[in-house]
Amino acid sequence: MSATELSSGPYREAALRVAVKNLYIYVVLLLIVAGFSLVRLGEVELFGPGHFLSPDSLINMLRTSAPILTVSSAFTLLMIAGYIDLSVGSAMSLTAVIFALLVREGAPFALAFAAAAALGVGLGALNGFLVMRLRITPVIATLVTLSLYKGSALLIVPSGLSAIKGRPGRPMPAWINDYSRAEVLLGLPWAFYIALLVIAALVVVQRRTLVGRYAAAIGGNRTAAELSGIDPVRWVWGLYVVVGLCAALAGAARASYMSLGDPLSGDGMELDCIIAVLLGGTAFAGGEGSVGKTAVGALIIVCVTTGLMTVIPAFWQTFAKGSVLIGAVALNQLLTRDRPKLA
Amino acid sequence: MTSEAMTARAEMGPSGAFAAKLSNESFLSLFMVGVLLALFAVACVFVPNFYLPRNVINLLTNYWYVIILGIGVTFLLVTGHFDMSVGGNVALTGVVCAWACQAAGTSPNELANGLGLPYGAALALALLCAAGVGAVNAFFIVRLKVPSIIVTLGTMMLSRGLAQVITRGAQRNTSLPDVFGVLGNTFLPGTSLKVAVLIMVLLVAAAFALERSTVAGRITYLIGANAEAARLSGIKVNRHLTALYLLSGLLAGITGILLASEFKAGVSSRASGYEFDALVIALLGGVSISGGFGSVLGMFVGAIILSVVTSAATGLLLSPDWQFTLKGVVTFLAILAQRFALDRRRA
Amino acid sequence: MESTANVLELRGLVKDFLSVRAVNDVSFDVRRNTVHCLVGENGAGKSTLIKILTGALPRTAGRILLNGREYAPRSTREAKAQGVSTLFQELNVVDQLTVAENLTLGMEDTRFGFLRKTSKIDRMLDILHSLEPSIGPRQRVSTLSVAQKQIVEIAKAVAAEADVLIMDEPTAAISEGEIERLFRIVKGLRHRNVTVIYISHRLDEIFELGDTVTVMRDGRHIATKPVAEVSDRSELIRLMIGKTVFEAYQERSEPPKEIVLSVKSLRNHKLGDLSFDVRRGEIVGFYGLVGAGKTELARALYGADPYRGEVVFRGQRLPPRTDEVIEAGIALVPEERRSQGLFTILTIRGNVPVMNMGKISRHGLIDGARERRAARDAVAELHIATNSTEKEAAKLSGGNQQKVVFSKCLFADADLLLLDEPTRGIDVGAKSEIYGIIRRLSRQGKSILVFSSELTEIVNLCDTIHLLYEGRIRETLRNGPGLDSQHILHVVTGGV
Repeated sequence: MSATELSSGPYREAALRVAVKNLYIYVVLLLIVAGFSLVRLGEVELFGPGHFLSPDSLINMLRTSAPILTVSSAFTLLMIAGYIDLSVGSAMSLTAVIFALLVREGAPFALAFAAAAALGVGLGALNGFLVMRLRITPVIATLVTLSLYKGSALLIVPSGLSAIKGRPGRPMPAWINDYSRAEVLLGLPWAFYIALLVIAALVVVQRRTLVGRYAAAIGGNRTAAELSGIDPVRWVWGLYVVVGLCAALAGAARASYMSLGDPLSGDGMELDCIIAVLLGGTAFAGGEGSVGKTAVGALIIVCVTTGLMTVIPAFWQTFAKGSVLIGAVALNQLLTRDRPKLA
Repeated sequence: MTSEAMTARAEMGPSGAFAAKLSNESFLSLFMVGVLLALFAVACVFVPNFYLPRNVINLLTNYWYVIILGIGVTFLLVTGHFDMSVGGNVALTGVVCAWACQAAGTSPNELANGLGLPYGAALALALLCAAGVGAVNAFFIVRLKVPSIIVTLGTMMLSRGLAQVITRGAQRNTSLPDVFGVLGNTFLPGTSLKVAVLIMVLLVAAAFALERSTVAGRITYLIGANAEAARLSGIKVNRHLTALYLLSGLLAGITGILLASEFKAGVSSRASGYEFDALVIALLGGVSISGGFGSVLGMFVGAIILSVVTSAATGLLLSPDWQFTLKGVVTFLAILAQRFALDRRRA
Repeated sequence: MESTANVLELRGLVKDFLSVRAVNDVSFDVRRNTVHCLVGENGAGKSTLIKILTGALPRTAGRILLNGREYAPRSTREAKAQGVSTLFQELNVVDQLTVAENLTLGMEDTRFGFLRKTSKIDRMLDILHSLEPSIGPRQRVSTLSVAQKQIVEIAKAVAAEADVLIMDEPTAAISEGEIERLFRIVKGLRHRNVTVIYISHRLDEIFELGDTVTVMRDGRHIATKPVAEVSDRSELIRLMIGKTVFEAYQERSEPPKEIVLSVKSLRNHKLGDLSFDVRRGEIVGFYGLVGAGKTELARALYGADPYRGEVVFRGQRLPPRTDEVIEAGIALVPEERRSQGLFTILTIRGNVPVMNMGKISRHGLIDGARERRAARDAVAELHIATNSTEKEAAKLSGGNQQKVVFSKCLFADADLLLLDEPTRGIDVGAKSEIYGIIRRLSRQGKSILVFSSELTEIVNLCDTIHLLYEGRIRETLRNGPGLDSQHILHVVTGGV
């Protein structure tokens, strides 16, 4: 195509659409940050204490964002392949409980962490088995495991208690906080950097490895993928395992942050993931998506949740989140409408 | 009867012929009744007093609210769609009903002030809200073709969130007129059953009649069996799906009104998890998401199975925390068992 | 690689479906590095033969030798692995990926799971470039035209070192200019060690492209000759249809009745400016090959697809809305009976009344007795072979399933029936039963529009025949002893 052709009408329009599609999410994030920064500017100083962008506030936001950043990245890959996992929240809770329990009973961090990760792998493998081997509809299969994992977490916590925390004679060691709170760099903890690592790794996986390529092929045109020799069962099962592993990482981070293992701590994570993925422009049907943009979407959720807390009373939170979800759905529709063909 | 038919009959034997006459749906419903009776028998062995009539009546009636919700969820599941918004909808309608009834502007406490409407108007307003949720669902699912699981999870949050806003995160239970508590606390004469149970029975009976004997019911199954063929046969698929979502919303509304009345309060945390329970009992009852299969009667049997399992757990002094695990395991086993039974039948 | 002269050898290939013998003792050879065309009417057994070659269906008897060795693939994937690739009509590309990603799908070079750009990839891109330089490797496939997507698939097959590339009606959906480009590419494949098996109805293409042509008819192999030895289209046509005169049609003796359907300037993105009339009791045929626009016309008339233009039925202007069209008295027997015409998990009784539930219900309540009677009447009237109306539609044979679809339409009291490929995939006995039903309906005063790609069927049944090509009516004929089927085939394959 010549240069003159490239700058003519339909090509220009298409290039514009592509640009919008790639950049809108950063614009949205910027607008939200800007919006919350303007709140109560009369009372608090810009970047000063109490302001949305004050160092304390930023650090706090990023610290609490580690779980959603981790899980939503893996969730994106699964949705690109055209599948869903509604049990991530419960998997997160269960691994948080196990992690806290092990730490309290004397296990060193490495052991507790590794055990939680292994559990996450197992939970993901079970999901994969139900969906790919037993061929149960993903929504129903993962609602069943949601129930199982949540129930297991609740049962592990002794009745009468609300969480695994320190008990007389067996306090929760103080270092449990280190992973999610202790400053390592720029005031941010290990958990945050691990989350960044996971995001970076999965971005690379999506763009540069076979896993990402095959996920898009399976989600985009399963028949074509199968004809090319790709076995969806194997690959999607693997994606469920990765999601489970990330849920476990998130669970350990959450337990570390709260110093206890709360069997309800992961509730709603699946909804947050869905919102993040929708904001990031992943299509419902699969075939395309972006781990990077989902991460931005996750940041948007964290900003909105934190920011709203300063603006509206707590009891508006659910409604706000519901609106964000419905809004994300509408936005996603606009973005993933079929593009006009060029040739 | 042709000779071909007579040979076929003879080969099957009398019970075989009867079994073959049953539709797959009825077969599965009967199968689950069998499962129910087996579970009941086991429970009677292990749980003291499980077989007493009073307990049996409890088993049949204590899930009345999930059953009403299950009607809408079942019809939608038959067409291949989810409705996870029913729990939030129940909370919303209860709260709206209470708020509408509360005396207007009499108290310095925000939560004691309402719209001061007469009870009838409050009911109408509440049902309107309930239908509204259904309408939002229908818009996104039918018009914009967004997957129903995502939309209804969103409307679940929206409706519950709205309930929380109206109750400031708590509940509205003051300055309510006396009539507010009537519906939910009236007992059927001579029994210990609430009116709500009667309403549930009537609704299930009506739903069953709808499913079996009406054109509308048949259309639901046609759409579930093959939406494209339904369209090409002149069926207005979009209109019907919209109606089903509105119906599901209204049923949630009725449930919300009854529950609010029973507890004489509009509580924003009401019905938490009911949407999941409604789905579970439909699945237990053999309703399949993949194609026009399943009955409200099956859903009812599924509800009783769930009731037996959870009551037995309570009777065995298991903590309420067992509920989630039990529900998950039971649903999973039911899905596998139903598949097994159907595969054997087809062979 | 073997250097046998024949890349494929078929010996006594047979394929049976229950009572139908779709492929009957077919034997021929395909020479290496040629473009070998396969022609035959619909129902001649071509598609079944191709499905056996691509691994989609197992053969009943006979053998196939690929490069001198036994060839019996159990799936399309296996066939591909053994060197037989296929270009299907439903394109098998992933729209959301780029051209390069599609090319290398399943054949990527990796190190520890990371995708690498190696010389293998470059070679594949070179192949694509040599076939068609205008397709850039980083273009998203969704932005390509159908023709370009085809070329990507061809490049993929070449890169996979396929021995045989089967192309099934590739020109059905692409434009003139793109066809030329495709031909250039196909001819070039001979020099890349690829043998092309080319299926097409457009006979001109055979002459332009083919080295050898195989003609099939009624499941049998009729002839295989070098194209150079085929004198002209007429000879091919003669081989394809075996005779030029049809006995089955009986001319009507009654005077023509009034016009019931009047179509003026019907057009949409697939159809161009169609106008015709249909009289009461008339059987009108629309004959054309794949891509001619038959199904599109049927769907447009039925209101299932949008269109511009005017459709007037019994004095009433019809909108493009299915429910209103049905109410006006028109019914469609769709092309795919299993996925569009029937509710396969429901019983016969459940299927029959679907298009007019009002007749078995009162005030919305279904009358069980009337429903049962409707099903029994349907079974009796159309002689549906079943011992019970409670049989699942999925369990019926193809012919009986089609009868159920017919009974749906009859139950709707339709006065005009649109039949899209009414006897596709149905055995001979059921076919003639259905023809009997069609003729009976016509005598009762119902008008029938038959859309078919089977010439025999059209000529057996129809009083008036419209010849379709590329979305337009090229010619209209009255059926009778002077009907020249060679001329018909000439017109619908694009001849002037």
